[in-house]
Parts: sequence; C-alpha cells; structure tokens
Amino acid sequence: MGASPFYKPRFLKVFTGLVYLYLFIPIAIVIVFSFNSQKSLQVMDGLSFRWYTEFFNDPTLMDSLQVSVQIAVMTMIISTIVGTALAIGLVRAHSRTSKGFNVLMLVPLITPEIVAGISALLIFSQLGIALSIWTIVIAHITFSISYVTIVVRGRLASIGVEVEEAAQDLGASKWQSVRLVLVPALWPAIVAAGLLVFALSFDDFVLSFFTTGEDAQPLPVRIWSMIRFGVSPTINAVGTLMMVVSISAVALAVLIPRMFGRRESGVKVLTGAEE
Amino acid sequence: MDHSLDPGESLTSKRFWDWFIFPGGIWIALLFAIPLFLVLALSFGHVDDFGRGVYGFSLDNYRDVFDATYIPVLVRSVAYALATVILCLLIGYPVAYFIARYGGRYRYALVAALVIPFFVNYLVRTYAWVALLADQGLVNNLLVDWGLTEAPIQMINTPFAVVGGLVYGYIIFMILPLYASIERMDPSVVEAGKDLYGSPFQTFIHVTLPATQAGILAGCVLVFLPTVGDFVSAQLLGGPDTYMVGNLIQDQFFAASNWPFGSALTVVMMLFLAVWMVFYLRRASKGEAEVL
Repeated sequence: MGASPFYKPRFLKVFTGLVYLYLFIPIAIVIVFSFNSQKSLQVMDGLSFRWYTEFFNDPTLMDSLQVSVQIAVMTMIISTIVGTALAIGLVRAHSRTSKGFNVLMLVPLITPEIVAGISALLIFSQLGIALSIWTIVIAHITFSISYVTIVVRGRLASIGVEVEEAAQDLGASKWQSVRLVLVPALWPAIVAAGLLVFALSFDDFVLSFFTTGEDAQPLPVRIWSMIRFGVSPTINAVGTLMMVVSISAVALAVLIPRMFGRRESGVKVLTGAEE
Repeated sequence: MDHSLDPGESLTSKRFWDWFIFPGGIWIALLFAIPLFLVLALSFGHVDDFGRGVYGFSLDNYRDVFDATYIPVLVRSVAYALATVILCLLIGYPVAYFIARYGGRYRYALVAALVIPFFVNYLVRTYAWVALLADQGLVNNLLVDWGLTEAPIQMINTPFAVVGGLVYGYIIFMILPLYASIERMDPSVVEAGKDLYGSPFQTFIHVTLPATQAGILAGCVLVFLPTVGDFVSAQLLGGPDTYMVGNLIQDQFFAASNWPFGSALTVVMMLFLAVWMVFYLRRASKGEAEVL
C-alpha cells in the first residue's frame, strides 16, 4: 500500500478520476457506436441514425418498448401508493406489527433477484396464473414497495408529529391530518420515489426474465436474446434510448426535492440515507 | 377504505396506523415470503414424465447438488463473489474517502455522477464490456495498434472478465455505504490519531478503518449478496468454464426444465446467504445509517 497513500489528496484525486473513467467509458462507447454508420463496433465510419431507424421500424422492438413503459407506469403507480402508506404506518405505529414488517420489508431488497424471480414464477404456476404483462407488474411491485418505503420513510423521519397534532387540535380527524398535512409534506419524496421505481422497473431484467410469457416481452428481455444471438449495433441504439429514459427519471427524482428548497435531499433520495 | 380509516372511537391509536401497514405488509408476505416456502417445498420434489415439477419428500435433489459435477460451480461462485467484494472495497474506499473528505461543494455532484451508470441497464453495460474486451474488440485493437502485443489477448471468457463485470455491476453498493460512514466520521478524530500514532498509515489502520467499519461491513454484504446469485456477467462475459450457481439455477428453469433441482440449488444458495442477510437485517433494524 506504500507509505501513506490515503492522506495525499493528489493520489486520491487521480485514483478517483480513473475510477470515474472506468465507470463511464463503457457507457460512452455504447452511445458513440449507436450513431455509427457501419455495423462495426470497433471503428467509427461516420455518423448516422441508421440503428435508431432500424429500432423504430422493428415492430417487435416497438412492441417491447410499449410493454416496458406500461409495466413501469403501473409498477410506479401501485407501489408508490402502497409503499407510502407502509412508510407512514411503520414510522407512526409503535406496535408489534410495525416492528415485524420493518424487518420483513427489507428482505426483498437484499435477496438476490434470481431468487425473487423463481419464487414469483412458482407462485404464479402454483395458482395457475398464465405469465403475462400482469405477472411482471406484480413481481416488480413487490420489490418496488420496499424501495418507496425506504425513500419516503427517510423524509418522514424528519417530520415531527407536532404538525399533525396541531392539525388535530384544530379539529382535524386523524385521517384528515394524514391526508391534508402529512401527505402534502411528503409529496416531493413520494414523487421522487415513484420516478426511481419507474427507472428500476424499466431497466429490470432478471425479475422480468422469470415472469415473462410468450408474448409481451419487455425490452431488457428482448435485449437479452439479441445479445445471445451476437453483437448487433441496434442494441447500442436501444441501450442509449433506455439510458435517456431512466436517467431522465432519476434526474427528475433528484431535482424535484431540490425544487422544494432542500438542497441535499436529492442525493439522499439516491443514497437512501436517513435525514 | 376511507370509512375504515376514519378514527372512530373503537379504533385505538395503534390500530389506526396498523391499517397503513397492512396493504404493503400483506403484499410482501403473500408474494414474497410465502413463495420462498414454495421453493423450499418443491426442492424435495421430482420431475414427472411430462417434465413438470411435482412435490414430494425426497432428498435426491440435495444429493445431486453436492455431486462432484456441481461442487466446483458452487465453490467458483463463492470465490468470484469474494474476489468481487475485495476489489469493490479496494477501488471503492479511496473514491468514497476522496469524495467525503475532499469533495467540498462538489460532493453531491460527485455522488450523483457515481450513481448515473448504475441506472444504465445492467445488460447494456455488460454488453459494452463484451464489445470492449472481445478478441476483435476495442481494447485488443488498441493493444495491437500500439504494438503492445502481437496477437489479441484473450480477455473474454476468462474469470477476470466475469469478475470485472461483477465489480462494474455492483460497486455502487459498496461506495454509497462507505461514503455515508466516512462522511459521518469526525475529522478531528483523524487529527487526534495523527498526534497519537505519528504516521498517516498507522492512523488510517487504527483510527479511520475502525471508525468506518459499519460502512465497510454494509458495503461488503450488499455487494456479496447479489453477486453470488448473478448469472448475467458469467453468461455474457464468460463461458461454461466460468459458470456460476446463478447460471446453473437459471438453466434448470429454462433449458433443462428441472424445477425441483433448480429449487434445491436455490435453497442451498439462500441458506449460505442467510447468515449475511440476518447480519445485515439486525444492523438495519437498529437503524444504522450506513446500511440503508
């Protein structure tokens, strides 16, 4: 390790810079070669939108794009509602129920995705439910609930019960104080959580892979079979477009809490740190 | 729904909040916890004449898991996952340290920049590495052009490529908890350490590392868990010689179509991971900031 590398910012600076290069070069390659006029993945011959045209003219891929967006939107809506309620319940209730679910809620996040995929496949086959777009949505919602709960809970921890109590002193019922006071205060976190879940669902491969039926395959599942058939420049175009979609969603998730005057909370949304 | 949530006299304060927990709690219990037991149940079953998995009470699948054919795959999975964890720690610690201590006003931008690649589809990112490392790929072309090697070096289909893909895929789970724990560390402790131990290296070993232990442990567990079950990296950047338990499991549910054996493999993997999962959950339930 040498004498004292960690106390020399210059060494750290160079090292950190190299790591950022390592993280971004593969992504840059995908973007650059998506505009290549030739099939080559080694040499840029010229700029063109050839692979994008190919993508937009491929009915199967367009179908998959639509399926992916539908899944992500439905996952986002349902898991945001259920996950926000769960977060509120877990923070406000000090019951035995809340202690148990506080732990259970974390399990989907740390279980390898392949296990979640197989479990979902087995329960659907046990119940005789044919695999479709809905089975994918259900599988996605399960881990998304936990995600929303953690993001919203982080924000909730910084809101004291005083505001709700004040509302109740003014004559609001408990339910009204949640609806009219708590939820509006949580709104930025709820929107951010929803957008993050949209991005995660849109990008998810493993869970979709195990719960996809014959038709209505989402984009990542389609990309998987494309890659296994060999390298195709269309993948670069699809990959670049997916990148634009999910990074826009994440960027909004970071910016929205900031627009509400909380400089740090954007990053805290991503790192899931408690406030 | 609204009516039941209305705080009538009969609802105690605790019951009111429990109603918020039930939809999500029951969803996770029904669609996550119970299916895990289905996997366990099917692992004692067998395949019928039509190739369908049926439940049973036999240990045959487990005998097969620990057969000489599959032991190397299990050992390899753990070895690759450990190598990934160590590399992520060695690469991630300096980066997290630099951002937390020297990032200044750019700290949040630097963290956000780290997170961006993570939101690029994992398949697309792995595919980018395939294009880079292939025999006729960009890296080999550059090496040959610059005269560093005569012929292309085989990089794809090697353990290095698979572990490299795993590091690339999961390093963010290491850096974020490390960053959280380093940022929380009081810089004056390091100053005190310098006075006490003299050399910066000694200070790092005796002060900084122990102070950030929670982040290190959380990062290691968070990288280890998904890595063991990964099949994408080994499938795309490796070959049959580098297959991991995830590839084996995935095969049983698709190509080989032996669900009971696939379930047994999954159970064995989960039992192995359970120790780390419980360790993580205990820390998380105590509310340690690094683990979330």
